Amino acid sequence: MRRKFFTTLAAMLCSSAVIADVNVGNPMAITGPIPDLVAPMVKAIDLAVKHVNEQGGMFAAGESYNMVRADTGCDPAGAVDAVTKLINVSSVSALVGPVCSGGTIAQAQSVSIPAGVVTLSVSASSKDITDMEDGTDLVFRTAASDAYQGVALANLALAKGLKDIAVSYANDDYNAAIAEVFTKAYTSAGGTITANEAHEPDKASYRSEVATLGNTSDNLALFAYYGSSGITIMRNALETGAFASFLGADGMLSDEVIEQIGAENMGGVTFTTSASDDSSVGYAAWAAVTEGSGIENIGGPFVPNSYDAAFMMALAIEKSGSDNRADIAEALRSISKAPGTVILPGEWKKAKAILANGGDINYEGGAGPHDFDKNGDVMGFFSQSSVVNGAWSATLIK
Amino acid sequence: MWDSFGFEFINFYFIPGLVLGCIYSLGAIGITLTFGILRFANFAHGETMMTGAYLTWTFMTLCSVTFGFTIHPIIAAVPAAFLVMLIFLVTDRYFYRPFRKSDTIKVVMASFGMMLIIRSGVQMIWGPNQLTFVPGIAKPNPVLKDWSSSIDLLLLIPNKHLFIFAGTILSVIALSYLLNRTRTGKAMRAVSDSPELAHVTGIDVDHVIRATWIVGGACAMAAGLFLAMDVQMLSTTMGFRMLLPMFAAAILGGIGKPFGAVFGGLVIGLAEELSAYPWIGDSPLLSPGYKTGVAFAIMVVMLIIRPQGLFKGRAF
Amino acid sequence: MDAGILLYVLSLLTVGGIYAIFALGLNVQWGFAGLFNVGIAGFAAIGAYTYALLTTAGSSYHLGGFGLPLPLGMAAGMVTSAFVAGIIGIVCIRLRSDYLAIATIGIAEIIKLIFKNETEITNGPRGINRIPRFWEHFSEERFYSSWPLSWFGTPESWEGFFDHLPNWWWQPFFAGTVLIVMLVIYVMLERARTSPWGRMMTAIRENEPAARASGKNVTARRIEAFVIGAAIMGLAGALFAQHLRLIEPTNTFDPSKVTFLVWVMLILGGSGNNRGAMLGAFLIWTIWSASELLITGVIDVLIYTFDGVDMGPLRTRAGFLRMMLIGLLLQVILQKFPRGILPEVRPASPKGIKTKSAG
Repeated sequence: MRRKFFTTLAAMLCSSAVIADVNVGNPMAITGPIPDLVAPMVKAIDLAVKHVNEQGGMFAAGESYNMVRADTGCDPAGAVDAVTKLINVSSVSALVGPVCSGGTIAQAQSVSIPAGVVTLSVSASSKDITDMEDGTDLVFRTAASDAYQGVALANLALAKGLKDIAVSYANDDYNAAIAEVFTKAYTSAGGTITANEAHEPDKASYRSEVATLGNTSDNLALFAYYGSSGITIMRNALETGAFASFLGADGMLSDEVIEQIGAENMGGVTFTTSASDDSSVGYAAWAAVTEGSGIENIGGPFVPNSYDAAFMMALAIEKSGSDNRADIAEALRSISKAPGTVILPGEWKKAKAILANGGDINYEGGAGPHDFDKNGDVMGFFSQSSVVNGAWSATLIK
Repeated sequence: MWDSFGFEFINFYFIPGLVLGCIYSLGAIGITLTFGILRFANFAHGETMMTGAYLTWTFMTLCSVTFGFTIHPIIAAVPAAFLVMLIFLVTDRYFYRPFRKSDTIKVVMASFGMMLIIRSGVQMIWGPNQLTFVPGIAKPNPVLKDWSSSIDLLLLIPNKHLFIFAGTILSVIALSYLLNRTRTGKAMRAVSDSPELAHVTGIDVDHVIRATWIVGGACAMAAGLFLAMDVQMLSTTMGFRMLLPMFAAAILGGIGKPFGAVFGGLVIGLAEELSAYPWIGDSPLLSPGYKTGVAFAIMVVMLIIRPQGLFKGRAF
Repeated sequence: MDAGILLYVLSLLTVGGIYAIFALGLNVQWGFAGLFNVGIAGFAAIGAYTYALLTTAGSSYHLGGFGLPLPLGMAAGMVTSAFVAGIIGIVCIRLRSDYLAIATIGIAEIIKLIFKNETEITNGPRGINRIPRFWEHFSEERFYSSWPLSWFGTPESWEGFFDHLPNWWWQPFFAGTVLIVMLVIYVMLERARTSPWGRMMTAIRENEPAARASGKNVTARRIEAFVIGAAIMGLAGALFAQHLRLIEPTNTFDPSKVTFLVWVMLILGGSGNNRGAMLGAFLIWTIWSASELLITGVIDVLIYTFDGVDMGPLRTRAGFLRMMLIGLLLQVILQKFPRGILPEVRPASPKGIKTKSAG
């Protein structure tokens, strides 16, 4: 009886690090301020895993491709904690994720870079990630840097005729970074920033902040996560009529906002987000593989990017021939760009065959070609959304 | 619109302060009754308040799912209130009663543990993410707005705040009736002043204790309901966030003095909101991040200079 | 896989040891002096932030770049914590138990608010990252390029050296350091307990009026105990910061993680008993940590058997179940084993004094 107990115990302790599988860590912000945005991303990752495993698995032995998921809560400390466990206890070969920029930066600095593990973030868009590394080449992402989105948003604001604007940003790595880019771009394009204040997330009421800012301008640039402060600030602002128009970015673009604020109150609201070029070949392939998969809104923020990241990681590991941590970075670069046969979402079997013969491949994903530059960044598109007939309607910004 | 006299002060600082004060008052009443009659600081009070709000939400959602129409929160609050009282009574029976005769520290520790158990329970049942309580934007009451601008004022008060004010006033009146006109209420006051003497005069102390939890439960339910109505969202940190200011209000008013608690609650609520007003010059007197520290600072000052509170409650 | 288990045990020893130091500090305040301090998280934060600010590299986000040796940073954490405790003590020490509890928990929240709002100094809600971990810090460039390591080799030779080590090489050293610190504190506290000071503390705790009547300065002794306990907590906070490498004012020092767990550890292990404090700490931490693995394993098994059912919510809510069970454990201990596993050693008598007995 005793022995049975201990073997079961040992099995349970080991179950999160099963040998003879390829284990990749997947820290995601499942709980936290943006759960609605993350849920479809998780589904996309699972779809990629499914495609790999159904079309032959990893290596000649057909090993199983395994995503070990952990919850970071979109919190830097949560990310460090989750990744520490993934790397030390689950012995993962690489990381697909995290979602939030704060978490990505924190865990990379404290855990994954010192441990020599590759991080391929699905959605961290802070501009600070570009220059984060010094001498290592371990941090990649399938999301374009906000250095561009901030500029696009600033131009959008001026195009709408908003000559002055007040800025409020949540004090975390993602929102502070994009706020900074926006303010610089807006001022140099001729706009006036009437106020620029950080706010603390997770408060019950932002009436004082809204009152102070509302005094200065009729327009608000709000950089926040919808769940931790975005909705509350908008609500407090709309209650008092402090602002006529609202601008913002990724963290705000959720259906939850429409549900909580009410579509009729969202007239003057425009948010931008990372988007995919739906005229590309990669996107058409992505649309094809997601038929019947249960993923709604396949063009949603970072959804195709998540699939691409998970798929590319599998390709990289397959290319490097083993799940050794050290070889993955180079392999990732190799499979992401030319030369090589073009591989589209869902074409695992084809890619595997080419790699087995020693050939090269070049993955082009649903979210873009993902050709990593020297900093591990990629290019991308953005779209602007406003509420039309009770739902978000997006138009690509070229 | 933004230049009417006092517009900003009244609508963005004073009224919200009053609303917050009402919520603190109702919570503080429960705390001061427990402190006075049962003689310990109940750390689980905030979490129970929060549970009441979550239960109300559950009943509201159940109604709209089964029957298809949305009911006003106050209706859903009634069954929730019964459950809250039940929670108080059950926790007392199994976790606080064993320590009636022991040092206070044991029962306070138990209430601290209860705080965590209840909060974890809420997180397990309803999940850690935020829930919408009432969707939409609360626009200012149009009747009040028109009337006040006709007298050159401009009061922008949404219906939810008017409701909270009315509810608080009614609750305080009901409490006053209970404590002054009913036998149970008088017995409660007697036990609060001196349990030994009350026992000698034949008052059933157990009955009084049950009544305390029930009244405390009702007040906690009201406080939780009003908080949820004001913020329109539920989160699992709302209980602990309210707890310390409510303790401060109870101490400020004097332990064991329910009306002191009401006064204390209003003072603390107003102090918190008004501390962020730009009294001098353009920027707030106190950075909004320190707002929650105001309540605590007031409490520490009270504990040092006048521990029996403003209305001469029990000192230590 | 073997390295994994070894590393796991090391981490249990490390974190258990840090909590043991917290529990020892709390034992001074509660076990010796009967002070109901529910603000442990505040002292932990002070120790952690002091250490972090003094030892991290220069940064545009927060105060830093002092380049002080790590042990000095830890000592500074103790000193600041003791200093703040002194101020609090002078103001609050006369408060009755539940008032002191309310006051200390409020003070801890205020301390966290200060760290959150003084963004210039502490980087506010974003926290301080890349905190140097003792022993691991040697492998960072700015440390092996300066003394003392620079006495023994060039930066390049050190870089090559560290590249060859497995990336967990520092863990046994760090664990060892934590345990040694814990033992040193234990020995010192045991000495204090059996000293005249310790016996006086027991007297004050048991019968305060009598102690006062015999001329003891009760208030001063209480403040002493409070300050000493806080200093120990500050040290534990500094070690905690090293373990985490990233601290921030909202979630890291959550009372339910720091304050509450330490209280459960002390009550379970036996308040008033230093060995009990350490035992309680390791026991509760192991239960806490292992239960997470166990629950994850159970959920994995469930997911495997019920393939297709979305078990995501189960995973995230499992953590709350653990917290609830620990809360219930506390209630059970309070009611059934209020003295804890190791009872208090009474009376606190010095060893070596032989009483002459007849025959």
